[in-house]
Amino acid sequence: MDRDALLGLESLNQLALTPEEQDEMLAFFAAREADWESLAQVDTANVERMVHVRPMVNVLREDVPSQPFSREDLLAQAPESMDGYWQVPRVLQ
Amino acid sequence: MSENTLFITENSCKKTEGGFDIGLDDLVLTQDAATSAGSKMLAGFKSLFEARIVERLREAGYDIAGKVNIGEFGFDFLGESSYFGPVIDADGHLVTATAKLLGDSSVDAVVGLDVNGAQARAASLSGQVHLKPTYGCVSRFGTVAIACSGETVDITARSTKDVQQVLDVLAGHDDADGTSLPASECARLTTAGFAEAVGAGEAFAAPITHVKVARGLMNSADADTKQLMEAAIQTLSSEGIGVTDTASETDDLFAVANLAWNILMCAELCNNVNRFEGMKYGYHTEKYQTIDELYTKSRTEAFGYLTKVAILYGSEVLATGNYERCYDKALRIRRLVSEAFASEFAQGASAGNAAGQTAILLPACAKRAYSLADVEANPYLAFEENRFTAPAAITGLPALTAGGVQLVGPAFSDVALLRLADILTADCAGKEA
Amino acid sequence: MTAYETVIGLEVHVELATKSKIFCSCTNGSDAEPNTHVCPACCGMPGMLPVANRQVINLGMTAGMMLNCHINRTTTFDKKSYYYPDLPASYQTTQWFAPIAVNGYVTIQTEDGPKDIRVKQIHMEEDAGKLVHDNWSYTTLVDFNRTSVPLIEIVSQPDLRSADEVVAYLERLRSLLRFAKVSGARMEKGTMRADVNLSVRPAGSDVLGVRTEMKNMASIAAIRRAIEYETARHIDAIENGIEELVQETRGWDDDAGKSFAMRNKETAGDYRYFPDPNIMPVVIDDEWYDRIRESLPELPEVKLERYVAQVGLSDYDAGILAQSRAFCDCFEGAMAVGAAPKEAANWIITNCTGILNKRGLTSEDLPVPGKALGQLIGLVNDGKVSSANGKRLLETLFDLDSRGEDIPEDMVAFAEAEGLVNSSDTGALEAVVAAVIAADPETAQAYRDGREKALNPLFGACMKQLKGKCDTQVLRSLLIAELSK
Repeated sequence: MDRDALLGLESLNQLALTPEEQDEMLAFFAAREADWESLAQVDTANVERMVHVRPMVNVLREDVPSQPFSREDLLAQAPESMDGYWQVPRVLQ
Repeated sequence: MSENTLFITENSCKKTEGGFDIGLDDLVLTQDAATSAGSKMLAGFKSLFEARIVERLREAGYDIAGKVNIGEFGFDFLGESSYFGPVIDADGHLVTATAKLLGDSSVDAVVGLDVNGAQARAASLSGQVHLKPTYGCVSRFGTVAIACSGETVDITARSTKDVQQVLDVLAGHDDADGTSLPASECARLTTAGFAEAVGAGEAFAAPITHVKVARGLMNSADADTKQLMEAAIQTLSSEGIGVTDTASETDDLFAVANLAWNILMCAELCNNVNRFEGMKYGYHTEKYQTIDELYTKSRTEAFGYLTKVAILYGSEVLATGNYERCYDKALRIRRLVSEAFASEFAQGASAGNAAGQTAILLPACAKRAYSLADVEANPYLAFEENRFTAPAAITGLPALTAGGVQLVGPAFSDVALLRLADILTADCAGKEA
Repeated sequence: MTAYETVIGLEVHVELATKSKIFCSCTNGSDAEPNTHVCPACCGMPGMLPVANRQVINLGMTAGMMLNCHINRTTTFDKKSYYYPDLPASYQTTQWFAPIAVNGYVTIQTEDGPKDIRVKQIHMEEDAGKLVHDNWSYTTLVDFNRTSVPLIEIVSQPDLRSADEVVAYLERLRSLLRFAKVSGARMEKGTMRADVNLSVRPAGSDVLGVRTEMKNMASIAAIRRAIEYETARHIDAIENGIEELVQETRGWDDDAGKSFAMRNKETAGDYRYFPDPNIMPVVIDDEWYDRIRESLPELPEVKLERYVAQVGLSDYDAGILAQSRAFCDCFEGAMAVGAAPKEAANWIITNCTGILNKRGLTSEDLPVPGKALGQLIGLVNDGKVSSANGKRLLETLFDLDSRGEDIPEDMVAFAEAEGLVNSSDTGALEAVVAAVIAADPETAQAYRDGREKALNPLFGACMKQLKGKCDTQVLRSLLIAELSK
């Protein structure tokens, strides 16, 4: 991870670090390389990945609509809204 | 923000004589008060619905004392990253607001979301009781999701009895949480369900008769902590509990469990807090021209440094070139850690204790006290000293902190762990007093 | 001059015809007033957890089987991260690691005969919201009604070679998905949208050219124009080299008839996929698999053949019916309650289509259940309802549907309730006949004198008095009998 890559990562995540924070962050990433190396030492060749700690299958709901929430309530905390819509700066297509 | 903010919002109705007041940590959504997740991003945010656990508590007649201050998004070391400031006790030690409120008897229990062990550490340092229940037995519906694959609703109180009393209300199936276990399994965590299972002779209801010491992790803690562990081992032995050590293979896996958990936790955190960008609700920057400016400035201004670190690390471990060696690797290590636990639990029982269960004994943190200077000197303690709580976090096994030490048991052994801990707390209560 | 070959692959997004959304239980109806089918989950507020809709899995499997795919018996959901105002959680839940269906094909008809277009995979996912660009305030308005509406994305292999093939593929997909009731698949309503991946290479080459992608194409005519334009642009770039071809996402301006490069931050990024820890795997056992397999509809071409060979319809009539699942259902339902095939077909092709056209509806919108049509035809044939009143009743069914009301189970009772059933009281008819003859003795005499046409005004006068509610055959014979006395 270098400064250019970090800038790209910041941009992807909509963040802008200060130069001091970037220095700290680069040091943090450098230290994580050792973590990844430690993990690489563990043989996982024949180990299945485990996404769910208490596995179940087919946890599904029936196709039944529920009562809607009030639009006024949903929009009450919007910084900008107009005519029942959230409103944002113009997004070019 | 000022130090020692205990409640972010406090209920005006004061504790009644003989009543049992419950604080909710700031990741638990309520309709009558704001839920800020310890973050400037959500300061003042009002949910349109209530967490299932809050519904259950209210239905059972409990008073909600207020929303308790926590670290930003609940994943830090001891609440130090809260937008509302850290909490320092009378001795100048860093504690969580939860531990302080319980110590002051301002509340009788705090219910929250255990993301990365902060309240287990705080309970360990304060001699309180903390339970991270078996994953899937208490609904997470209505909690601010951070690291869904491992986080659970947690309970901190002054006694095992108080923890059980709250757990009796919280444990239960919820259709609105797709990871919620069937009702019959959730009921295993309640006094009534446990009593029934004892009668039926079910394995999870057998008493814990054997404890294995996670020696590797224990040895990575300081002398005071090791001494506390030795005292706990003495107490358990004198009560007839068999004590041996975990296998070295298990110790090796426990040593990397937090490295794998950090990857999973940060990736999930990154993804879950992506939604906070200043457009729909919550904090938004004053001046912006473009949508990217709105997003970037809002997030940059509202998130604390530790959250930014977690977001960027979490994003990086999912990047195309890193996914296999980081995220995918961590998922496989999660299985190895689970299997290591299973093998320890099985071996303990076969070693002459066929009728009993085995639990793992380990510290909850590396030292017996921390100061604000400690977390300032190393802001990443949450990613390093979480090595004691990560084995339970990454596997979803129940973890009980009591008498300063931590016990991790098999799935659904929650009540059995609480009963075992009675031995430790009886002893500890004398010492702390 | 070099001959070129256009290589095209399609990604087709189809909204599924469910009642509720995919991960929350808001109503699936993106046409509603903005932000009225929205809950905290689908506007990105914290706290809700996803629970997948069973019907989405059923429809995903159905689509996979209709497109001859292998169904993955274990299928999982994953999270895909990017920022855009129409994506409220800043991630989309989709299928990356184990999609519902893979390795299928769709057979299309070309000038050179049938051709199989391979389907690489079908995955289930949630739709994004809608953005409305407000010119007055120069802002973008965001509507989350469509957020989390269930979609399938059908990804083809780059097997298509021309605009004609693309159109044939899309029409075939649309027909199959409609027949299986997976989706209304309406491009004009945005419930079917296509991304077109296109490259050009010299004929005979096995190296692919530079690929461009045109996203969210919403009409077959526009897709045809865009493919023709883009092909010409690629060939021009290859031959003249003035414009350098780059792999990019392009938009299509149908008014200008031109494609244009899109500024698109999201496509440049890395989506950070990972398995969703809140959604358990879906495991499809044999019982579930077989149940869906058995529910698959007869294919349109099989219906057509059967309607001609076994039912006895003309090629023309069968062809029209087999274009629409709603037509087929109505037709078969009417036959099931005893309607003659030719008659049922006529009612659908003439009367129903007339009303659909008048109301600006398509054949798939036909709201008339086959049983109702069959009973209606029976009532008219039995003389209980006049032909004109029969059509009136049919129209009433459309009215009920457009008001969201239920279509009655029993058309006999409904016709009576509407007051459109003929009087079966011959005494009353005789009285009317006698009165009409008495009121117009001159016309009656003309008939008796041998002018047969004089019967018509008398008959009309009777019908007027009876308000059309009579069996016309019975009325005619009564009238003749009375005049012959």
